[in-house]
Amino acid sequence: MEISAELQRQQRSPWRHRMRQVQAFLIDLLLLTLFLLMVEFLVVAFSGRRGPTGLLVTPEEILDLLHYGWAAAGGALLALLWGFGSDWLGTSPGRALVLGVPEREGHRPWTHTLRGWFIALMVQLTVFTGWLITEVQLVTFLTQFSKATDIVRGLVHPSSTVLHQGLVLLVQTIFLAFMATAFAIPVAFCLSFLAARNLTRDTFLLRSAYTLVRAGMNFTRAVEPLVWALIFISWVGIGPFAGVLALWVHSVAALVKLYSEQIENIDHGPVDAITATGASHLQVLRFGVVPQVIPPFLSFTIYRWDINVRMSTIIGFVGGGGIGYILKPRVDLGQWGEVGTLVLLIAATVWCMDILSAKIRERIV
Amino acid sequence: MSQNGAPVDIGASRPAEVVRVEGLTKVFPNGVRALSGVDLEVRQGEFLVIIGLSGSGKSTLLRCLNRLIDPSAGRIWIFGDEITAVEGAGLRAMRAEVAMIFQQFNLVKRHSVINNVLSGALGHTPLWSSLLLRFSGEEKAQAQAYLDRVGLGDRGDSRADALSGGQQQRVAIARALMQKPRLVLADEPVASLDPALRHSVMRHIEALNREEGMTVLCTLHDIDLIERYATRVVALRDGELVYEGEPKSFDAVTFHQIYGEDAVMAGSAVD
Repeated sequence: MEISAELQRQQRSPWRHRMRQVQAFLIDLLLLTLFLLMVEFLVVAFSGRRGPTGLLVTPEEILDLLHYGWAAAGGALLALLWGFGSDWLGTSPGRALVLGVPEREGHRPWTHTLRGWFIALMVQLTVFTGWLITEVQLVTFLTQFSKATDIVRGLVHPSSTVLHQGLVLLVQTIFLAFMATAFAIPVAFCLSFLAARNLTRDTFLLRSAYTLVRAGMNFTRAVEPLVWALIFISWVGIGPFAGVLALWVHSVAALVKLYSEQIENIDHGPVDAITATGASHLQVLRFGVVPQVIPPFLSFTIYRWDINVRMSTIIGFVGGGGIGYILKPRVDLGQWGEVGTLVLLIAATVWCMDILSAKIRERIV
Repeated sequence: MSQNGAPVDIGASRPAEVVRVEGLTKVFPNGVRALSGVDLEVRQGEFLVIIGLSGSGKSTLLRCLNRLIDPSAGRIWIFGDEITAVEGAGLRAMRAEVAMIFQQFNLVKRHSVINNVLSGALGHTPLWSSLLLRFSGEEKAQAQAYLDRVGLGDRGDSRADALSGGQQQRVAIARALMQKPRLVLADEPVASLDPALRHSVMRHIEALNREEGMTVLCTLHDIDLIERYATRVVALRDGELVYEGEPKSFDAVTFHQIYGEDAVMAGSAVD
């Protein structure tokens, strides 16, 4: 066999190269379209145009008015122009991201490239547009505090009537978070090896598993724990177990991401050494990879438990058990003193968890 | 012995062929050409030292031999069997017979010293018990004996990263011994050690060669180490084999041919 797998890969690469060019073009298209849309947004916002009600157009109405099709067409045109004219215009952002910057441009400071100016402008446009879309009102924020004094007064004058029930549910909250984390560990541990790029390059099967696990976890993580809670409440009924399941699903996704990043950062030396002894793949994982990732895994897991305690409050709002379950009606009824008690209980717990997890992590890393 | 078309050894008086490399070429995906058309033959019992500047392809050559790196072209025979493209169990069986010693020791830092030595046996141990870090009493006794041999018999329970560099490299040598290999690849084994400690590590590698009859391929930099330990020297420059000869005939002229005019011979009496 004269030609090894490596060379075969290189011969297959024209196809891959074309895929990367397409990727670069799509990123440029997206950036330039966003650029055109934000420019249009700002032009309309400052043109003093009036909406259907006769008042100045609101940001939401402007978002409705924008010419998305035209912007996309313009973005495509500009992306094509930048792609073909990269000899004069310099590498486009998409190409720089996907294909890298060619040697001859490598050392130029950003102020000397169109790409640099474009990105700087994009950042500014995004801040301006964001300011308008989220309707930032600095003056109101700084002058209208008095309207909230009732709530704040309640929070600092906790009432003792819910203290006992609060403490009981706090225990439930902590265990709820703990069980969710405990169930998440084995699943996340196994999946994280499939979600680490450096361990999944070799075969088509592994590469597919990587893509599948990554995509699945990104989707799972993107769905709010609150939504998971609603799903599981329908599934297993109102109560702490639904909360455990909701936090479990979310924790698996989050831990896989954190774990796999740690796996990607390992020192490859021991992996080489164990591979060189003739060990099998599982043995290489056990000896070359696992010992290196155990301390960060532990640290992330404790951190996750900490997060789960905080999240379980919100899960309780919709019936997923824990202290949030009695917090929600008191928020709705404006019983701020009782809300204050519960909030302080949660805060004290989170504070303790934080100190504990920091101490433990300090010890094991 | 060689079913795969390796040239059959006719001269019966010569020691058996351990490594044979023909036209070995490695081009990395980023376009770097680390090896171009290297031919090499190593016979049983040799202590072959490979020299050359950093980036000349020494490390790539060694890593191709146990297939930590897949070659781009060329063929490799180890103990007469072609291993250029073997996969799976065949590849692991070959690796089990070829130990490697690394510049950075590459111990499992958080494991105990004795566990690191035992990991050398992974090519032979049953999968499930090894995943639970359970080794047989026989293997443990063997590992302890090898640790004694490299002078670290009392450090078995220490964590590997609690040891000094020279000690860690001796643990790595014990791990190599545990593998009971017929061929040892040592990639700059003393380059990250204090000069004063280099001989203490090199002597253990020499013992693998002299006492255990293992064939050794070793990359080195220092001229005094080459003269002291090598039975034969080859040199790589820009991925090509540019020199081959006895350590005795290796002098200042050949040194400068290999390393360039600006190089200074380290630790050398010849100048």
